[in-house]
Amino acid sequence: MRYEAKVALRYLLSSKLQTALLIGGVGVGVLVFCFMSALINGLTSFQIEQTVGSIAHVTIEPREQTPKVLEAPNGTVVLPTVLRDNTQRSQIRAWQTVLDTVLADELVRIAVPIVAGNGFITRGQAVQPVSITGVNPEQLSEVAAIAPAIIKGTADLDLDGIIIGARLARNLSIDVGQTLVIRSDRGRERDVKVRGIFSIGIEALDERVAYMNFKAAKALLNLDNGISRIDVKLYNLDAAPELAANFAAATGLKVTSWVEKNKRLFDAIQGQGSTGSLIKFFSIVTIIIGVASALLLTTVRRKSEIGIMRSMGMTKGFINRVFVIQGVLIGLLGAVVGSSGAFGFTTLVMQLAVRADGTRVFPIDPSQGAYLAGIMLATVASTVAAILPARAASRVDPLEAISQ
Amino acid sequence: MTSALEKTALLSVAGLTKDYVIGDLVTPVLKSIDFDIYAGEFVAMLGPSGSGKSTLLSILGTLLKPTAGHFFMLGNDLTEADERELTKFRNRNIGFVFQYHHLLPDFTALENVMFPAVASNLMDDVEAEMRATMLLTRVGLGHRLNYRATKLSGGQKQRVALARALMNNPALVLADEPTGNLDRESAHQVMELLAEINAESGTTFLISTHDAEIAKRCQRKITIIDGKVDSIETNPTAKQNLAAA
Repeated sequence: MRYEAKVALRYLLSSKLQTALLIGGVGVGVLVFCFMSALINGLTSFQIEQTVGSIAHVTIEPREQTPKVLEAPNGTVVLPTVLRDNTQRSQIRAWQTVLDTVLADELVRIAVPIVAGNGFITRGQAVQPVSITGVNPEQLSEVAAIAPAIIKGTADLDLDGIIIGARLARNLSIDVGQTLVIRSDRGRERDVKVRGIFSIGIEALDERVAYMNFKAAKALLNLDNGISRIDVKLYNLDAAPELAANFAAATGLKVTSWVEKNKRLFDAIQGQGSTGSLIKFFSIVTIIIGVASALLLTTVRRKSEIGIMRSMGMTKGFINRVFVIQGVLIGLLGAVVGSSGAFGFTTLVMQLAVRADGTRVFPIDPSQGAYLAGIMLATVASTVAAILPARAASRVDPLEAISQ
Repeated sequence: MTSALEKTALLSVAGLTKDYVIGDLVTPVLKSIDFDIYAGEFVAMLGPSGSGKSTLLSILGTLLKPTAGHFFMLGNDLTEADERELTKFRNRNIGFVFQYHHLLPDFTALENVMFPAVASNLMDDVEAEMRATMLLTRVGLGHRLNYRATKLSGGQKQRVALARALMNNPALVLADEPTGNLDRESAHQVMELLAEINAESGTTFLISTHDAEIAKRCQRKITIIDGKVDSIETNPTAKQNLAAA
């Protein structure tokens, strides 16, 4: 193998321009591969982060109770109608036990008990409907990043405090430190002081959502004995569906993963992933075609040398290896050049393509360039591409080659 | 491979026939050739162009299969051997010198000569380098060891090709018009060299040529005409060097 490698290397070095072009060609293919990986993976991470960053990975809610229809005698047509009991709010009663069970799982980063309900905020003649979320003050930003979104005041949620969205504050012409009255759909009222105003950038949230202290919200929403739901954040997003099923089995409650709630997002991610894979596939095919055609030309150019090597007693395997090694070297060098170039290029794009507000034009992530996969695939592709020319070279008739 | 024949014959050709078949057209090139070559002989194979000399040499060099007949070398029936055996046999026992030198242009003179031994793991690098240096010095190119093949003159290239043919210490060197591409002086030098090496080392040479002057230097002349052995003559003026005799 050592001497085959020497011959292969000598061949590559003797046609420096052709070798440089070949390595460059493989490099461009790998650059496209890694750039697309960095872009598609970065975009996927960005989309998931944007979606999952402000929602729970797993949500535990009370199970909807549906009365069982008793078996009717034969021939009897049953048309059941369920009248929901609206006198009592749906809630998780033994929530502390459920919370402990959930927190015991090592994949769970945090579990936040939440009380939620609807209400109205009134100030003078102005009345605005709101969605009330009661949460422990120290856990306010655990599920949705509220504290970083505060544009005025603080995220301090004491018993008399409330944090509202910027649009709601504007509609009510209210500012931090002012008092307003909040009334729940259970008819309970409370005077609260605006401690902070947030702006998430999503109109529906900035206009409709108000955060209150957990205990104050429980009283306001008439949930003295229970809570509305538990929002769970995990260390690993991908574990959400499996954990949701486990929690459902363990608690008997309705447990939903973020995957289930965001099916459209997944369809979109899959679509862009497939597009990226297709582009990556063609970049690899380009490498195979480029390397195979160049090496085939080399076999024609080196025909008489191959012939003399065969006449000197070199086996077909020897000739085969000379050309396969060339493929490996071209693939490996091209892949290293291409992946290095891709890392530099993606980093440059990430740093330079920035909007005035500091956000990036491309959600590209240089750390997700799949460089190792690119290097391995390009090397394998180049090696595979060399097989056909290698076989052609090993089949050269020494007599025909020598007599040329 | 089967063991056979007389001990003194290095190469024994018996009823060797070769036909080229293109579609329905069968062209007989060699018609039942018979002769023996003994170890240490310096033999010329004469004949006009198209007489079948090169085809015969290709068969004897195991690069081409005969249509019929047998040829034995070192007691082995090479017509019965498979390709892998022939490749190995060729590497160990047969050296080639062609009309064109066929050196590897990306390698130096030394590397070209070392090639048959090192690439087939017959010798290690040190041993091969020593022998290649010795051979190149012997053919008068000790001062050109590290010259690329492309930097050498035509005569020098052919001498490198001769050194390469001798590298694995073959029992037989087949030379097909070895001076055909050289000027008169270079041709003379190469022929002198072939004769000297034969005399010194006892290496057997079978030289295909249509140059009567070259043939005069050989101990025997085998004349091929129209695919048949026309005559086998011994040259009483040439120095006899039958090593095995």
